[in-house]
Amino acid sequence: MKERAKCLIIIPAYNEAGNIEKVIDNLIADYPQYDYVIVNDGSTDATKKICERHHYKVLNLPVNMGIGGAVQTGYRYALENEYDLAVQIDGDGQHDVAFLDGMIQCMEEENADCVIGSRFVKKEGFQSSGMRRTGIQFLSILGFILTGVRVRDITSGYRLVNRRFIQIFAQDYPADYPEPEALVIAAVHGGKIKEYPVVMRERENGTSSITLKKAIYYMVKVTLAMLIRRLSFGVRRQK
Amino acid sequence: MIPRTLQITLSVAVICYFILILFYLKKKMLELKYTLLWLVAGVVMGIMIFFPETLVWFARLLGIESNMNGLYVLCIAFIIMILMTLTSIVSRQQMKIRTLTQEFSMLEKRIRELEEQQDSGGKSRESD
Repeated sequence: MKERAKCLIIIPAYNEAGNIEKVIDNLIADYPQYDYVIVNDGSTDATKKICERHHYKVLNLPVNMGIGGAVQTGYRYALENEYDLAVQIDGDGQHDVAFLDGMIQCMEEENADCVIGSRFVKKEGFQSSGMRRTGIQFLSILGFILTGVRVRDITSGYRLVNRRFIQIFAQDYPADYPEPEALVIAAVHGGKIKEYPVVMRERENGTSSITLKKAIYYMVKVTLAMLIRRLSFGVRRQK
Repeated sequence: MIPRTLQITLSVAVICYFILILFYLKKKMLELKYTLLWLVAGVVMGIMIFFPETLVWFARLLGIESNMNGLYVLCIAFIIMILMTLTSIVSRQQMKIRTLTQEFSMLEKRIRELEEQQDSGGKSRESD
């Protein structure tokens, strides 16, 4: 029988003291087959204390680096500890680990490099507001124009990657608002990207990283970042 | 041509500029690598001031009527160049800080776990 792939769950957490305990305890109790690592992104609340009290596996970043820097830390950790697969989920309990088995299976069956947990495939569960959906759709179409890969839930932070992309992301991962840009990176490296239907919950405590105020900045920055990514890979696109 | 008084004022300014840079370099408050562009800018300014013909030639080259405007254009060009280098230096440093922070967090985890191991090892030996 084939040896089971070693899978690491990366959980970036910034001021998630209210959620982290529940998320991790649930993870340890129900999914002991997966390893996990919390990346505490310079939280100013009790996140660090809680993690250390419970002896969770945690990487403490001394300063806040933003979600991109935090997730990349997880990929570096995965690379150093020779994991075959790495999946990133949010530390606020939005993403249900129950779908992970299906995602891994999807990856094996489709021979994909990157599987994205998507709420828009089956349109179940928390769908986020209309304005956000419009923004996501815009970015998704932009991603399609730039790379020829259509990912409907392009901002989803629930994604599984294989060894090859652990390596790529450990070296090169965008700093802030990284999700759509990371997909362009994956696509231009010739990775096979698949979407897998998941149901997301609405966050319980804390606030989403994108407030309405930041929405415009977000769209401009991400659009530019995707364009520049695509341009700088222009010639090297075909392997 | 630029007026004689202005020429003197600007000469003094450029000399002060060089003295300031040298002062900072001597105190090691500036890295020579990053001041090269400043020095080049100063040298060009100096040439333009001491040999105003070059300034006239430069202004004509760009189609600028007044010589002084030529000098301004040159100044602004240098400032923009220096600012761009600064932004690029900041970006590169940010990347380095990022790598450092990430490596640090991984080392911190290893140390923490080693210490925990040692603690529990020590305790179990005591209880034996």
